[in-house]
Amino acid sequence: MQIKRLYILLLGLLVLSSATRVEFTEYKDIKFLTTQSIFSAGDTIILQFSAPNNETPNLYCSHSYGSAVISPVLKQNILEYTIPNSISNKSGVVLWQLINQELSGQFEIIPKTKVNSLETYIGPPSIAAGGTDYAMLVVIPTDDLDNPLKENTPVNIKHQFLASEENDNITTAHLIAHKNIYSKTETGRILLASECLGKHSKEYDISVLAGTPTDFNISATRHHDYADGNQITSFSTSILRDVYNNVVNDGTYVQFFITNSEGNILKTSGTTIKGIATASLIHPDYKTQWSIQAFVNGMAESDIITLDYKQVVTDFTIAFANNTVTVGPLKSFMNQLIPDGLQVTLSVFKADTEVYTKVNAAKEGFAHFNLKQLNLEKGLYSITVKTAGLEKTLQNINYE
Amino acid sequence: MQNTSNKYLIAALLIGIAFHGTSIFFTLETTYDALIHLFFADHYATSWFEPWNYKWYTGFTVMSYPPLVHQAIAAFSFIGGLKFGLFTVALISILLFITGVYRFSLLITANRTVAGYAAILAVLSSSFVETLHVFGQLPSIIGISVLMHALPEIYLWLKTGKYRYLLTSLSLIAVTVCSHHVTPIFGMVFFIFPLIGMVIMDASKETVGSMKAVTFKIFLNAFFKLFKRIVGFGMLSLVIIIGCILPYWINSKNNPITQVPIPHGSRDSFLEITSSGLVFFLIPWGILLVLLPYFFYRYYSKRYLFFGLSFTLLTVLGTGGTTPIPKLILGDTAFNILTLDRFTLWASIMALPLFGEFAYRCIETDLKTRIQNRFGAIYHRIIVGILAGLFIFMSIFTVSLGYFRPSQPQKIKMLPIVNFLNQDQHDQWRYLTLGFGDQMAWLAAQTNALSVDGNYHSARRLPELTTRAIERLENSKFKGIEGIGSLQQFLTVPEKYNLKYIFSNDKFYDTILYFCGWQRLRQLENGIQVWEKLNVPPIASVLPKDAIPKWQKILWGIVPFLTVLIAFILNIQLLWIRALKTKVKPIPEYLNFKNNYNSFSKGLLKITHIWSVLLAIIVCYGVYIFYLKNDSQRTPENVVLAYYDALDFKAFEDAYNLIDPNSNVSIAQYMLEVSVTDGLLSSYAKLETINTNITYKNDSVATAKIETKWITPLETITKTNYKTVVKHHGEWFLQPEHLDPDLPPDQLYSNNTTTFYNQGRRRITSEQTHHEDVLKQPVLEVLQATLVKYDNHYAIIGEIQNIDNTPADIVLKGTLYNNTNKALASYNAKYHVKHKLMPKEVTAFRINFEGIAWSKTQDSIPKTFNPDEFTPVELSEQPTTFNLQVAGNVSGLDLYKDVTLSAININDTSINGTLFNSGIEEVTVPQLLITYYNDNKQMLWVDHLFLKDGIKQQRQQQFNYPLLKTMPIQIISNDMSHCFVNGLPNKDIAKKVISNRIKNHTYSKLQPITHPNYSFIKIELNNYIGNPN
Repeated sequence: MQIKRLYILLLGLLVLSSATRVEFTEYKDIKFLTTQSIFSAGDTIILQFSAPNNETPNLYCSHSYGSAVISPVLKQNILEYTIPNSISNKSGVVLWQLINQELSGQFEIIPKTKVNSLETYIGPPSIAAGGTDYAMLVVIPTDDLDNPLKENTPVNIKHQFLASEENDNITTAHLIAHKNIYSKTETGRILLASECLGKHSKEYDISVLAGTPTDFNISATRHHDYADGNQITSFSTSILRDVYNNVVNDGTYVQFFITNSEGNILKTSGTTIKGIATASLIHPDYKTQWSIQAFVNGMAESDIITLDYKQVVTDFTIAFANNTVTVGPLKSFMNQLIPDGLQVTLSVFKADTEVYTKVNAAKEGFAHFNLKQLNLEKGLYSITVKTAGLEKTLQNINYE
Repeated sequence: MQNTSNKYLIAALLIGIAFHGTSIFFTLETTYDALIHLFFADHYATSWFEPWNYKWYTGFTVMSYPPLVHQAIAAFSFIGGLKFGLFTVALISILLFITGVYRFSLLITANRTVAGYAAILAVLSSSFVETLHVFGQLPSIIGISVLMHALPEIYLWLKTGKYRYLLTSLSLIAVTVCSHHVTPIFGMVFFIFPLIGMVIMDASKETVGSMKAVTFKIFLNAFFKLFKRIVGFGMLSLVIIIGCILPYWINSKNNPITQVPIPHGSRDSFLEITSSGLVFFLIPWGILLVLLPYFFYRYYSKRYLFFGLSFTLLTVLGTGGTTPIPKLILGDTAFNILTLDRFTLWASIMALPLFGEFAYRCIETDLKTRIQNRFGAIYHRIIVGILAGLFIFMSIFTVSLGYFRPSQPQKIKMLPIVNFLNQDQHDQWRYLTLGFGDQMAWLAAQTNALSVDGNYHSARRLPELTTRAIERLENSKFKGIEGIGSLQQFLTVPEKYNLKYIFSNDKFYDTILYFCGWQRLRQLENGIQVWEKLNVPPIASVLPKDAIPKWQKILWGIVPFLTVLIAFILNIQLLWIRALKTKVKPIPEYLNFKNNYNSFSKGLLKITHIWSVLLAIIVCYGVYIFYLKNDSQRTPENVVLAYYDALDFKAFEDAYNLIDPNSNVSIAQYMLEVSVTDGLLSSYAKLETINTNITYKNDSVATAKIETKWITPLETITKTNYKTVVKHHGEWFLQPEHLDPDLPPDQLYSNNTTTFYNQGRRRITSEQTHHEDVLKQPVLEVLQATLVKYDNHYAIIGEIQNIDNTPADIVLKGTLYNNTNKALASYNAKYHVKHKLMPKEVTAFRINFEGIAWSKTQDSIPKTFNPDEFTPVELSEQPTTFNLQVAGNVSGLDLYKDVTLSAININDTSINGTLFNSGIEEVTVPQLLITYYNDNKQMLWVDHLFLKDGIKQQRQQQFNYPLLKTMPIQIISNDMSHCFVNGLPNKDIAKKVISNRIKNHTYSKLQPITHPNYSFIKIELNNYIGNPN
């Protein structure tokens, strides 16, 4: 046992001593040999160090895409570190440090001078006419390794709008070249192109759309001015334009408010085509006056026009037989039977309390109400019929 | 080996393979469960060792179901595809079942012929046929089959104590548990315990010589003698049950099922819901019902006493909610989680050996002679014929149940959907299917895209789903308000789940999709309508999953197949060794306990006869009741019910036949009238309840007040109708209703509209859309936004305008904060907004904060769910401020704005009015958005009204809107500083685009009303067009 312990002790000491020896070894004489500090992107970059001890420490490299540890190749006491493509292809500053060494430094990779492509962005793709709205064109000239070209690279921007073609020279700053393109007072399309060191971009465009509409007029057309509840009155606007006289965009929503004699508000709407919005509404079925005004909410409004509708049904009769109420004949302005669909409302009262209301439509001049389904108790009732703005009452009908 | 092969068993196997092997190709894919197992198999086929599956429920673990059957299908799928795997495993399950029944019967009856009879009967037994061809429960079948194979081995171990039997029985238990977890657990109780009892009985009998001499004391002695073996087996099988699927148990412990109980037919009262009674009681029992007295008599004989108890228990448990007993025995929790049909299945399987015995005795031995002696040979032949006929009828009926009552929608071709999902990176979003039935699992197996829905509800984790008693979102219309409500929540906030595409196989859901802001993309060539939602971000490329230790994954991936391998080697090898060692076949112990088939009990025969007559009477009475209920023209109530039923199922010819023939409506006219009515009620409603009240009736005429309740995708509609019913020649008929005769003014007319088309990608490329092809998001402006409290629920109301020049689809997301800026709830505008706006169009909006909106989802969801009901808020956390995010996207769809308000009439309680459709499209569901203002014209509330009927072109439609009840509305905040449009502050963007806005421009055109709380209203119109031209 004693001997065994001794062995372990000795062995332990041996291991420890060898470890300490490694720790204290130094690469005293390693020196940085490469003198070049600026490289062009894509070049093969080899950093050289003198290596008197034939030791091969790794090189730690850091740049904007990340970090890498590079192993050297030892050639005749010279350590050579070949910087991998992932680093050497990208422009920017590269920091390096020998691992476990004080020795560190940096070098710069600059982009190539030849443009390979123009990375172009434009936005927003549509702006409003009027000279205050603008889109920004951003051009990033890059070399074939996708490095943005150096600062102050000249970029030429051309844009065409209607008759004007403009040409601007700008330079890159912070890797990009950019320009705000302002709209003019007209609508249309701005086409843009850019050029850098003989490289041309493809075509880009910006749509210039109309600004907010201004006040407008409305008009109405109808086949006749009778309140027959069966014809259509159409409304249309004058051409809606913005302050610069541009026709507003197709699809602009215009809402028509119709206030009738009762003070109730009806609604219809239309969307513009070439600036004109049309809307329609069915005629009322009783005498009334409409006053109509149209709005583009928050932006523009029309004048107010008024329309009068003449009463068509002047009188009608109510008959009660077989527990069925028959209303009619309902006649129109030329004594023709009113077109099918006129609404007739029946209210049944028992001692002034309404027990039932039903709306039926007139067909061939008559409206029928069958009271049998109502489950009414037998007895006396009164009924009121409303149609075409008229109201008639039949007292004391006997339901059996 | 065996001297002679059992010809009955061979016949059973041949018939089984031929009968089931042919029919599974027509039934299995339309069963409830088979495609779910196929989906799981697909999971194992693609990632055998990774239990996490992203495809359903935003991720779940397949460790929630024993893997053997799924892995087996997956393994076979490497040879010939998933369906090949499915059918192969189904065929194997058939073989296992038949042989299992044979061995179990041999164990019970100790008679090879009887066991052979039982095997043949098992092939066609209706419970097995139903489990395979209607339910598709392959793991269940394989589980019970292997368990039946294990029973003789367990018997032999207990009886002889030879370790090789312990090994074989444990190996088979292991296979059972790997294929189905519930089977061995309940199998222990219902099959193995009675088996132990039988072994002890047999051992007692051996000590005393005859069964009659066995007393309780002797039984107890025998029990103690065998105690070590019993406990040894019990403990070891417990270890096996836990050990083999250990990851399953760990998962169940870590993710306890939080799912609220989902109603299942097997828990219904079978007398009330007769369809459940048919499927879960009559069919599985089938002809066995007639022989119940025989089974009870035999199983309550001394040797089988424990089987008798177990059989009784199973029978009772299988009755579901018909009696309160199952709930008392199982307790509330187990009763609500378990599907009780399995008990009936096991009971019927337990009956099979005795069924075989009965058949044997009836055809060959004592029962035959007794009947022939007593009633004559002809009677015997007739009886056997009737029983055999009924038996065959039941199995044919069961196999083709899917033909009589299709449980699934028509088979859907999945390829167009799979292609759609593969195109254009559509699989970067989640999808949802509607109206696919269980076929959704088959789609999920075929595509890499992920779904929010799923078809294995025990594995769900989203509280939105686990708190709802719905099986799937996909068939939510069958779950009434609760189902639709749950679906609505997913449709309203789809960006929470990255849900962008919906494949709809059911027109029913169209309206809810539209009003939740979805738009129709196109119809695929298989007729499936694709719906899309804009402004939904794609799924993150890295999704969260539950980390599972590697040892569990390895165990899960290897053990199931290992158990099969070991079971195979042990059982086959033992047979082989046995065959080599001894020339003479060793007789298994259980064959020493033969039954005596010499004299069939007279009393039993009598009781069976009485019972059969009783059954026949019950059946006849049932049929009679059924006839009375279904004879459609017998009473006025019946004719009304039949008419509404016919309309509900769109069986218009049937409906026409119930119309009074004297009313001179031709079928052509009737069909025309039906076809011209479109709208929420006639096209998208499902009849929920109908209440017919005959208010007046004499011999020839009756009037009926009909109160109907309809489930529509948007809301429930209650309607009261009066109909007149007349009697001709003893049959009742309905008087037809007259159509609105409204005549449109113009025969032919034109309409100019601006339509829009978005190219999307102008270049044909599979790359991402080019920068310059990306359209600008339309600029919107929040004109007003207010946080209000009404009737104990909070809402953000306001107005939004599209101030751009392009039509916009708008998405509104509101978030509520308390005083300490803690987010309390977040939700989107559902249908209190026009989701599609033309340039410069304004819409009012209201954002409700429904159930899942609140951060404390679990607590806040009410027990009884109603989508129109809101979550009460805890008083300690009152919302005080809000954030409103509005996003616009260019959309050229659903921009029909041609419905006008043509007449209006207001009284104190309601608004009556008329809408007029001036355009060229038929509006299917018109919607009114009604905004309320106070006397200062300050917005207070936004309400809505869906019209039940559609509006045809140039026609009018009346509406009646009841004004809100008198209840003060509290304005909590109208601070609009946290309103954002497309991510930019609303104030800045408004100032830039519309610098000189006329504020409150149209306020002069608000409609005055007389109401204690409100002074003005504004009505806006929104339209859903079901069938765009």
